[in-house]
Amino acid sequence: MHSNGFFLQDVAGFLGGYYSCIAIMNGIAALILWRKKGQLGWAMVWTALAIAMMVLASLALSASPGMVPALPASVRSLVNRLSGPMLYTLGTFALLTVLFVFRSFFVKPMVAWGILNAMLVLMGLSMADENFAAIVMKPDNVPIVGLVFLLAFFTWLATKQAVVNDDRIARGLPTVEKENDEKVLVWPDLVYTELICMVAVMAFLLVWAIFLPAPLEEPASSVKTPNPSKAPWYFLGLQEMLVYFDPWYAGVVLPSLVVFGLMAMPYLDFNKNGNGYYSIEERKFSYLTYQFGFFVLWITLIILGTFLRGPNWNFFGPFEYWTPYKVEVLNNVDLPQMFWVNLLDQPLPKAPAGASGLVQAGYVLLREAPGLLVMGAYLLLLPPLLAVTIFRGFFAKLGFVRYMVMANLMLLMLTLPIKMILRWTLNLKYIISIPEISLNF
Amino acid sequence: MADKKKMSVAEILAAARSSDGKGGAASVAPTPAAEPEAAQPAAEETAEKATAGKLKPAAGGARPSVADIMAMARAKKEAGEAPAAKPAAKPATAPAAKSAAAKPTAKPIAAAGAAKTGVQRDTASILAAARAGAKPGPMSKADAPSRPAPKPREAKPVEEKAAPSRTVATLPSKPLKPAKKGEDAEDRRGFLQIALGSAMAVGFSALAVTGGLFSLGLARFLFPNVLAEPPSKFKVGFKDAFPSGKVETKYVPQYGVWVVNGDFQGLQQIYALKTVCTHLGCTPSWLEAEQKFKCPCHGSGFYKDGVNFEGPAPRPLERYSIRVADDGQLEIDKSKTFQEELGQWADPDSYVTV
Repeated sequence: MHSNGFFLQDVAGFLGGYYSCIAIMNGIAALILWRKKGQLGWAMVWTALAIAMMVLASLALSASPGMVPALPASVRSLVNRLSGPMLYTLGTFALLTVLFVFRSFFVKPMVAWGILNAMLVLMGLSMADENFAAIVMKPDNVPIVGLVFLLAFFTWLATKQAVVNDDRIARGLPTVEKENDEKVLVWPDLVYTELICMVAVMAFLLVWAIFLPAPLEEPASSVKTPNPSKAPWYFLGLQEMLVYFDPWYAGVVLPSLVVFGLMAMPYLDFNKNGNGYYSIEERKFSYLTYQFGFFVLWITLIILGTFLRGPNWNFFGPFEYWTPYKVEVLNNVDLPQMFWVNLLDQPLPKAPAGASGLVQAGYVLLREAPGLLVMGAYLLLLPPLLAVTIFRGFFAKLGFVRYMVMANLMLLMLTLPIKMILRWTLNLKYIISIPEISLNF
Repeated sequence: MADKKKMSVAEILAAARSSDGKGGAASVAPTPAAEPEAAQPAAEETAEKATAGKLKPAAGGARPSVADIMAMARAKKEAGEAPAAKPAAKPATAPAAKSAAAKPTAKPIAAAGAAKTGVQRDTASILAAARAGAKPGPMSKADAPSRPAPKPREAKPVEEKAAPSRTVATLPSKPLKPAKKGEDAEDRRGFLQIALGSAMAVGFSALAVTGGLFSLGLARFLFPNVLAEPPSKFKVGFKDAFPSGKVETKYVPQYGVWVVNGDFQGLQQIYALKTVCTHLGCTPSWLEAEQKFKCPCHGSGFYKDGVNFEGPAPRPLERYSIRVADDGQLEIDKSKTFQEELGQWADPDSYVTV
């Protein structure tokens, strides 16, 4: 905490404009609802919110420490204390699950509008915290803030259409897409729209680049790594994956599997439904698998890497000061160590000095036997086991080859969350650890 | 169609094609008596379009589509040429009988002739003529059952006369290839083959040689004459410059090495650690307060002796070769590294006993 008056004066102007924008937004929403018939109640709610936002804006513009609306210090320290990679990842997973299960409630426009307002206000209140603002308002990180809101919006939009369609299908009606034939001519309708979008995006990017210039840092040096050293934002998910795996796996195999898996999707998908219209009910498996991979294993990791990973790649709460001296106990142990030393209470099998290469390899295999057995069972035994249990229908429809491809893709995808959880709970470093040949898993 | 607000693209195309197709089909009809009839469908087409153009806005009240506007414009123009054309026009009188070109004598090139003479001027109708009889336009599978197939308007009495002649419009058959004239053609081709083949051979051989030389030249760049690298051997001072427990970081910017006086497995040694993280190659920083090397990229941590203990780093930091030079100074040689997991730290070159 390094709060001082200067920070508040800097941020006060921004917050004043920010709250005013929310007020105007809600005012417009209220006006639109008021003109419609039968929405008077909601119009009143949003008007009241707009007025409250105007009050917050004027408070923020006062720029005096007691007046700028902020989260209470106790709440902030509680959030800092509670947050950790485990709670973050499992929490976002739980949140997304809740959003999915109760999607028919959350897609209602008024509910979604309320959530948007809550997100914006929470962000404004947090912005009065110096440490939070320092991270969020960094030019590098502004796009990620945009990403959070944009993804929320587009997911909401698609889910809403899917929910409407599911409801219509359940009642035996044709889907919205089939009823409103939205086909238009490529020329001029589509081409003109694209042209206008292109010009607008270009103008926006120019303005952005002028007002939030890219940060220039010191010249690069091979022996000096910035602390924290972060990949471009779209690779922060990969960087987070690298915390749990060896580079060859998290940096080469898993990304290739992502690309390969996406390419394999059309060949593995036997479900003919959902072609040309939004639907969740008709393609639940595909939908959930994709959203899990995209949201939980990619987007939340990008957000984690951007906002919550500080110096030395330590985890920092959203309101925590990024000190490079934070001490975090991360003593990790390999599975062979756990098995031989901790469980059987004997030293790791080690080839006697001067043994031939073959003998050494034998000892290495003996040392890594537990890990090799676990991985072998995971990748070789689980697919057939799943084929006769929960994936019985899939196996019948896909056939042997396609089923094995699908099952292995799924299992390899799941190695990431499994390994993350094992790291957090058991401090497990590697299941198979053969540093002699740089093979660690 | 009037009950719909707007015609879809597929419907517009289908409608246009079915009417155009009729015209085209009729005009290429190969019957000897086709002369009056061939003229008639053209007139009928214009008339039909004119009525359609007039009726549609009134019926639907919707904005006419691009295709409608174009059809109206075309219909007006043609109606100017053929004032006699009426919805229930009787055959034969239309001056649009330029399609007299579609005489039996012109049979093989009827389609092309008709197109040239102005009965069918646009590409769409020519294409339609070629396609007539095929399925009416692109339509997605999902659309097919829900949408009524565009009807060929056979209900009109005028059409019934045209109907018999509305047979499948086939493309004129291709002219037959001239028959081979024995060995003659073979010889000529053979000559070309030899001439071209040898030229090709020369060309590709030249290309291969050039490519080979170019690759060799490129490979030469991998072994430059002068290497602008610091020498792999350098001296860092006398032993007493490194008191026990000290991690010397001042050689990091220039040489990328920590010189440490610490104990490894109970032995007090001076060793040189390479400043490259064994996980992904970032440069860790020495944290004096925590007595550890910590990597800023993925959080790997190493003890003072270089052994990994936290984060994802799979193996200890590597050592450089170190020795006491003849003048008593410590000399580090970066050309040789020692890895703990391979048991190389026992090598006396990897440390200097204090």
